[in-house]
Amino acid sequence: MIPPAEIVDWEALLDTGIAALIAGVGVAFTFSLAILGASRFIEASRDQRTIEAGAFALLGVVGLIATAAAIAGGIIVIA
Amino acid sequence: MSEADLILYIVVATALVFDFTNGFHDTANVVATSISTRAMSPRIAVTYAAILNFAGAFISLAVAATVADDVVVANVITPTIVFAGLVGAIAWNLATWYFGLPSSSSHALIGGVVGSAFAAVGSEAVLSDGVIGKVLVPALIAPVLAFVVGGIAIVVCYRVLGRQRPGPVTRGFKLGQVASGGLLALAHGTNDAQKTMGVIALALIANGNLPEGADPPTWVIVSAATAIALGTYIGGWRIIKTMGTRIIKMDTAQGFSAQGAGSAVILASTHFGYPLSTTHVISGAVMGAGAGKRVSAVRWGVAGNIVTAWLLTFPAAAAIGAMTYGITQIFGDGALGPLVIVAAGAALTVLAFARRIRQGTPVPAG
Repeated sequence: MIPPAEIVDWEALLDTGIAALIAGVGVAFTFSLAILGASRFIEASRDQRTIEAGAFALLGVVGLIATAAAIAGGIIVIA
Repeated sequence: MSEADLILYIVVATALVFDFTNGFHDTANVVATSISTRAMSPRIAVTYAAILNFAGAFISLAVAATVADDVVVANVITPTIVFAGLVGAIAWNLATWYFGLPSSSSHALIGGVVGSAFAAVGSEAVLSDGVIGKVLVPALIAPVLAFVVGGIAIVVCYRVLGRQRPGPVTRGFKLGQVASGGLLALAHGTNDAQKTMGVIALALIANGNLPEGADPPTWVIVSAATAIALGTYIGGWRIIKTMGTRIIKMDTAQGFSAQGAGSAVILASTHFGYPLSTTHVISGAVMGAGAGKRVSAVRWGVAGNIVTAWLLTFPAAAAIGAMTYGITQIFGDGALGPLVIVAAGAALTVLAFARRIRQGTPVPAG
């Protein structure tokens, strides 16, 4: 009889764990950046700090694009 | 129509009923976080989840292959054994739904099939390597992984957004939950609908309609997707309340983190063909997102009740599956046994629903 430790494909399980960790935490991080960018953009625009507003708008857009790309990439890998 | 074909039709219909109860029982978990944080209204959340569950069923077939090929020895299985396993799973699903416990439909299904195969053929019918390596060990790891990912994700969110005004942050995560909730529903459909596809494929192999190792036919994929989507749309308010409000009181960032962590774990596992419990994963992610903010925010007593239900699921469904197989054999090897069980099951279900209606419909969370 094969010992239980050898039955399990630990490498595949480890890959699953790493993929889930990177995707789950990564999406939380990029989307938080998107919210941070949007929130600070609103404040900077209201105070007429144009350059700062532009930088935060860029951060927000990049965060949003990174989030969307991560989600789309994940689905493509599964399919 | 031969008697073998009649049994096969009964098995397919029973599998689709199981799939419906799976949607009814499980998918409420998917929308609970969106509803409890008021990111979506209950009706919109449930409709949205139903549509994405349907779509998710078409994404992959890796889990279906595991259920059909790696749990029991296909060439010693008969459609009656598959039927008895399904009855074990449905009975356990309905019992835990009745008591409002989010137990695992997946473990119920695999437990039921293993139990009936064991009762009918013996231990040689069960692929213990597959059950341990592809079902039981991932089942233990997945919720812990979801807990860790959910916990780290919420800490990251709070670190990045710590000093921001709560208004825009809450609105931002509410919007984010539309995406993360949708992704979770898609992931759920991908993993859970495939289990039914796998069981129907197993019955088709057992009846000689499909060669071993073949993918499920398109009609199986479409019918499984439809059944789980309908189940999602119609049921599950009682479990929404448990998942969404009793484990922790969530803010939108926690809801987003929990849904994102749950989706990531389910999709990654689906890719490797692990038929894990989406209920376990989502519960783990919800608890992780709660504990990441404040460990005492998690109502561990409720979490303990859920863990108890999890522990009972595999053996209980296996026992019911084995017992059901035994009852079918009282009526011989033909279709009479399964027909009697279906009639008795339908009568009991109607009685349970009638009793539930008399007691009143549970109030949705939020």
